Amino acid sequence: MQLEQRIVGQVTVVKVTGDITLNKGGDVLLKDKVQSLIQQGQKDILLDLSGVSYVDSAGLGELVQAYATTKNRGGALKLLSVTKRLKDLLVVTKLLTVFDTFESEADAIASFGAASKT
Amino acid sequence: MTSDQPRLLVTDSLGRRQIPLDKPLVTIGRRSESDVRLAGAGVSRHHADIVVENGACRLRDCASKFGTFVNGRRAEEQVLAHGDRIRLGETEDTEIVFLTGGEDGAREHSAVSAVSELRHLAALLEGLRALGSGRVLEDVLTLVLDSAIEVTGAERGFIMLANQAGQLEFKLARARGQVTMSGRTFETSRKIPETVFNTGRQMIVEDLMDEVLAAQHTGTVALGIRHVLCAPLRLVRYVERAEDKSEDKIVGVLYLDSRERGALKSHSARTALETLSMEAAVAIENARLYREALERAKLDQELTVAAAIQQSLLPASNRSGRFFSTAGTSVPCRSVGGDFFDYVDFPSGQFGFILGDVAGKGAPAALLAAAVLGSFGSEATYQTRPAPLVTRLNVNLFRRNIKARFLTAFYGMLAPDGALTYSNAGHNAPFVVGPTTVRRLETGGTVLGLFEHASYEEDTVMLAPGDVIIAFSDGVSEAFNEAGDEYTDERLLASVNTHRGKSPQALLDGLLVDVHSFCGDATPSDDVTLVIVRYEG
Repeated sequence: MQLEQRIVGQVTVVKVTGDITLNKGGDVLLKDKVQSLIQQGQKDILLDLSGVSYVDSAGLGELVQAYATTKNRGGALKLLSVTKRLKDLLVVTKLLTVFDTFESEADAIASFGAASKT
Repeated sequence: MTSDQPRLLVTDSLGRRQIPLDKPLVTIGRRSESDVRLAGAGVSRHHADIVVENGACRLRDCASKFGTFVNGRRAEEQVLAHGDRIRLGETEDTEIVFLTGGEDGAREHSAVSAVSELRHLAALLEGLRALGSGRVLEDVLTLVLDSAIEVTGAERGFIMLANQAGQLEFKLARARGQVTMSGRTFETSRKIPETVFNTGRQMIVEDLMDEVLAAQHTGTVALGIRHVLCAPLRLVRYVERAEDKSEDKIVGVLYLDSRERGALKSHSARTALETLSMEAAVAIENARLYREALERAKLDQELTVAAAIQQSLLPASNRSGRFFSTAGTSVPCRSVGGDFFDYVDFPSGQFGFILGDVAGKGAPAALLAAAVLGSFGSEATYQTRPAPLVTRLNVNLFRRNIKARFLTAFYGMLAPDGALTYSNAGHNAPFVVGPTTVRRLETGGTVLGLFEHASYEEDTVMLAPGDVIIAFSDGVSEAFNEAGDEYTDERLLASVNTHRGKSPQALLDGLLVDVHSFCGDATPSDDVTLVIVRYEG
C-alpha cells in the first residue's frame, strides 16, 4: 500500500493505492499516517480511495478508528471515490451512514468548508 | 579406533572431507539419507554401497544410472584396496580415495575419529530432541572446539556464529586440555574471522608480527599471537535433483591459534580442519534448529490448547427443540479464529442463536471472540428482545476500549409460532429460504465495539414450517479459489437450492463440501462459520 499526500486549502488529501489489509500491513500504515497528520495540526483529511481494490476487516477497523480520532480532535475524515467493493462492505456493516463519501474532489473539499462554518 | 580404520577421502566441488567406514553398511548417493552424500551430476540417488565385513570393504554398485568405477574400470562389486580411486558416473568432478593405512600420521586419525564422534553426536541429537534438553547447542560447540584443537594441535580456539542480521557473534572459547575460557580473556581481532566469514575461504596467517598488515591487527598482535588458522563453518545443502545447484551457507567461523611457529601449517591439519568444520556446521545448524523448534513447540502447544478451549466454548453443532432443529460449525483458518456462534434457550420457549465475526484473525481475534461469548452468555437470558441485547453487547465491547477492534454479529430469537425477531449488527445478511422465497435479514445497526452510542433496531419475520435460516461469516461468501474468484452470496444461494429439503446437518455438510470444492487448493484466508436453523412448525 502506498500513500501520497497533498494539501488543497485547509484539507489534506491522502491518496491511498493498494489494499488496506492486515496481511499487507496497510492498516498500520494508514493509522500512522493519520496520527502524524493530526499531530501536525492537519485535522481535515480526505482519503482518496480510488486506487484501493480491497479492504479487509482490519483495514475497515482502521478507517473507522481514523474517523473517530479526527472527530475527537475537532476535525473530519471523509472518503473520496469509494470503490464498489468497499461501498458494499460499508453497506453490509452499516458504516456508510457514518462516513461522508464523495465522488468529486471539489464537492468533498467544499464540504469541509461548509462544515467548519456551522 | 584402530590405526587402520578404513575411510574415504572425498574431494568434490564442496571441498575435501574424510568419511570413516565405521559401520557394516555405508550408503553412497545423492539422497539425503546417504552416509556419503554427493552432489555430482552423474550420481544416482542411491548409487552404491560399501559393505564392511571381517575387516574387508566391498564396494557394490546399486544399479546406478551412470555406473561405478574403481581405478577407471567399471565395477559391479569389488573388494577395495588401500589407495583405490572410486568414481561415480562419467564425470571427474568427484574424487573418492579409499584409505586404510596410517601414513598420514596420527593427526589425520584424530580427525577421522573427531568426525566419527560428530556423527555420533548427530545421532545423539536425535535422542536429545526426545528428551528435550536445552543445552544442545553449547554441547555441540564444546565438542567441535575440543576436536578442532586436538586435530590441529592449536593452543586455543573460539567459535563465532552469524546471528539473524548476518553479524558474527562470539559464542565459545576453549583451550587445550578441554578448558572453557571466558570471551573476555580471549580478546582478539574481529578482522580475521570477518574476512573468513565474508570470503568463505580458510585463512592461515603466519607470524602476524612479520606482516605488513600487522598494524590493522593490533588487537591480535598485542597478545603476541604468532599463528592463526581460521576456517568457515560451511553448511552444505545437498540437493535432491542433480541439475539443481547445491547451495551452501556459512553459519560462522572456527578460529584457532598457537604460539608455536608453524604448528598449524601442516597440510594434514588443514585438511582435517576442513573436514571437521563441514561436519561441525551441520551439527551446529541442527542444534540451532532444534532449539528453535523447542521454542516453537511451546508456542504450538499453547495454540493447540487455545484451539481446544475455543472449540469447547462453541455449543454442540446439533440442537433440536420442539419446533426447530439446527446445525452449526466454525472452522478457523489458523489454529484459533475470530468467528463464533452460540445458542440460548429461553424459559418462554423461544430459541436464540448468535453468529459473530471479530475483525482480524488468530489469537487476538480469538480472545475477543471469547470475551464476546462470555458477555453474550451472561446477558442473553436477561434480555427478552434482540435489539436491547445487541445494544448491551456493543456497550460492553466499547468499554473494553480495544482500538480498531470490532465485530459483526447476527442475533435471532425464534418463537414456537414461527416469529423470528432479529437484530443484525453489521453482519452479512443471513438468508431465510422458503419453498419459493428468499428473504435477507438486514435490519439492525452498525458493527459492534466502535461507537458507544450506536443504536440497534430489530425486525420480525414470520417463518412457515420448513423455512430455513442460513447465517454465515464472510469466510464463506468471500472464500477465494485459486483463480482469485470469490464464492459469493449467489453461489451460496445456488448451493442451498441444490440441497433444499435436507436436514440442517445434511445441508451444512453439503454447503461446506461445495465451498471446499470451489476453493480447490487455495489456502483459506478467513474463518468459515455457518449456522443453519430450520423452523419445523
